[in-house]
Amino acid sequence: MVSGMDSGSENISEPSGPGMSAIYFDGTSSRRHAVTLAFKDQLDINADQNRLATWSYTDIRRADSPSGTLRLSCLTAPALARLEIRDAAVAAELTARCSELDANLPGRRGVAAIVGWSLAAAISIVAMVWFGVPLAAERLTPLVPPALERRLGDVAEGQVRILFGNKTCTNAPGRAAFNKLVNEIREAAGMDGAIQTAVLSTPIPNAFALPGGKVYLFDGLLAKAENPDEIAGVLAHELGHLKHRDNTRNLIYNGGTSFLIGLLFGDVTGSGALIFASRSLVTASYSREAEQNADTFSIDVMHRLGRSPKAMGELLFRVTGKQVDNSLSVLSNHPLTEERLKRMSDEDRPPSGPPLLTAAEWASLKAICTSGK
Amino acid sequence: MNQMSSVPLHPPPVPGLVSFSGDRGEFRGLVIRGAGLELVTFGFYRFWLATDIRRHLWSNTLIDGHAAEYTGRAKELLFGFLFAIAILLPIYLAYFMVGVEVERAKAFASLPLFLFFYLFGQFAIYRARRYRLTRTVWCGVRFWMSGSGLAYAGRAALWGVLALITLGLALPWREAALERYKMRHTYYGDLQGSFAGTGWEFFKRGWGLWLFFMTSFIVLFVITPLTKYFPALKPLSIIVGLFAFLVPLAAPFLYAMFKAIEWRWWLSGIRFGDVRLESALSESALMSLYWKVIGWFLLISVLFSAYLFACAALIAGINHTPMTKLFTQSGLQGGIPMLVALVIGYLALILAMNVVMRVYLLRDVWARVIASTTVYRLEAAANVAAKGELANALGEGFADGLDVAGF
Repeated sequence: MVSGMDSGSENISEPSGPGMSAIYFDGTSSRRHAVTLAFKDQLDINADQNRLATWSYTDIRRADSPSGTLRLSCLTAPALARLEIRDAAVAAELTARCSELDANLPGRRGVAAIVGWSLAAAISIVAMVWFGVPLAAERLTPLVPPALERRLGDVAEGQVRILFGNKTCTNAPGRAAFNKLVNEIREAAGMDGAIQTAVLSTPIPNAFALPGGKVYLFDGLLAKAENPDEIAGVLAHELGHLKHRDNTRNLIYNGGTSFLIGLLFGDVTGSGALIFASRSLVTASYSREAEQNADTFSIDVMHRLGRSPKAMGELLFRVTGKQVDNSLSVLSNHPLTEERLKRMSDEDRPPSGPPLLTAAEWASLKAICTSGK
Repeated sequence: MNQMSSVPLHPPPVPGLVSFSGDRGEFRGLVIRGAGLELVTFGFYRFWLATDIRRHLWSNTLIDGHAAEYTGRAKELLFGFLFAIAILLPIYLAYFMVGVEVERAKAFASLPLFLFFYLFGQFAIYRARRYRLTRTVWCGVRFWMSGSGLAYAGRAALWGVLALITLGLALPWREAALERYKMRHTYYGDLQGSFAGTGWEFFKRGWGLWLFFMTSFIVLFVITPLTKYFPALKPLSIIVGLFAFLVPLAAPFLYAMFKAIEWRWWLSGIRFGDVRLESALSESALMSLYWKVIGWFLLISVLFSAYLFACAALIAGINHTPMTKLFTQSGLQGGIPMLVALVIGYLALILAMNVVMRVYLLRDVWARVIASTTVYRLEAAANVAAKGELANALGEGFADGLDVAGF
């Protein structure tokens, strides 16, 4: 043992151990108490003949301190009562007596527990993204009221119009031909009249559907089309998305997914989620399955009209052949065009119905965006 | 430590001295280990790492020979975060609904709704400060805070508008007003804090920086387009070129200068009763740190590129595909191994940069700022009665969730 370490008040020293000095804060004020320690059955903290506190060794815990200082707290004392010991020998003596000194530290097992629980949480989130969110989107989509869907569509429409230059083509004969084509498809598809359609003047070869029954055809796609059946197939495909409410399902799916991913990495503002969700409306990127279903729908409608579904496949092939890398295109995220063309060619039947548009109507539809300029 | 038994027990601490005793290697080890654990826990370890970092910084900050102590625990942060999510989810849904209605009226009109999240972020900053402060203990007495997070958020927003209108000129006064509000509601035991720094003082030290910033902005973003339309202004393009060359070089110096001025002004304004802080941080004190960070970032980026190249070469060697194909978009989409290598490399890059930032911009800045500080009339805090309740970590959770940070 070290001797002669006590500065004054030797008379408190007991046979069980020498008095040793330290600084004590009682947790009720910031006053510094210069104290002597007496190691008895319990730790006595004394100042000027008075016993300030008695700490049981098993209740003493280590508190954070810089190196060279041992700082202690006690479970039964006020929460912020602290004992500061700078003397290494006293510190060693106390450390030896306090068996539970480091019981609060997390240690190796604590870290393993954090890693284990984090992995469990991550696996659970991934499982939710993989299985839970698609299921939720599937179940929730029919519950979304059509009114809300229309509102979402209005929002997306506003953004689309700004993104693509807000140039609706209004050439009257073209418009009439377009309406005729849409109506024929709509009736064959068995959908009600609440569908708004428009041709936008933009060179991008694209077409897409917005929630609440809006279908947009871009002039760029029209320019690449060689006959009305090709455009009819694409429009029927988009109506398929509307009928299956793929937009709404997508919105729920993307919103839920990005929220959960954000949960994992700490961004729960939803700012990310919101961007993802609204982007999904505009770019209309659906799952491969949704695309196949929409293709099936289109093939079905074309059969009902007595026209060949092969035309749409040919149009798509013509477009992808030249524009492989267009992220905004209706063609991205789609099944491979060759596969689709093959599928539609397999469904090819000789035309049994009348042509959808007369040659004159087709010509005016092709020219729908010309007179406005 | 045994040699200490022969020296006087309590070496008399230098009066008023504030010092930092943390070991740099220990901190580096702490953040490197923390970054590794963040990687394997998908980021969930951030609560434990933040707590460990604070415990290290606090407990090595000595005022008058007595170290401060951080008593917050990671589980509090975790629960705060989980509660914050539970509260943010409906807010976020409501935000979405309101956004839909507004967008219906006019496309992209919902952007001002970000204001709402700005306010909410300021609220979170205030509440997070309250949490940290009530976990800060010195001499057995904790700091605490009163005041209202909403009142603070309102002030922050109004001053923010003013700063925006005045092109940043009002920024010093904004900071002073917000600091006054925060410090007026800050207590050490029953000792009330206050803030004596004024906006004018801050402005006096920093106006040169503002002038340089505005000049560069005008030259680069106003004059440059003008020279295109008015050939008469062509000679000015030499100035433009000079600025385009100068600004990136000067920016780290100037930002470090700004931070140093801000730290010094802030610390020198802090009062608790009669206790007064004074900082002597020089304007150049933090410059080397920012340049070191830039150097490390460059090095890490080079390593990252080399890693990507090596991975591509390896995969190309295995698959017998030409290298050029791997870097096309379809190559990246098709090649799962390349994608995995890319993700791993990217995460390592982010974590390495985090380690660098934490060592230089957190620990080293802290150490230099602390070393510059002196406390006067500390005897006024010698017998302060403990007071104040612990605040919950919800604010920290919001701040984490909203990705905002404040002091």
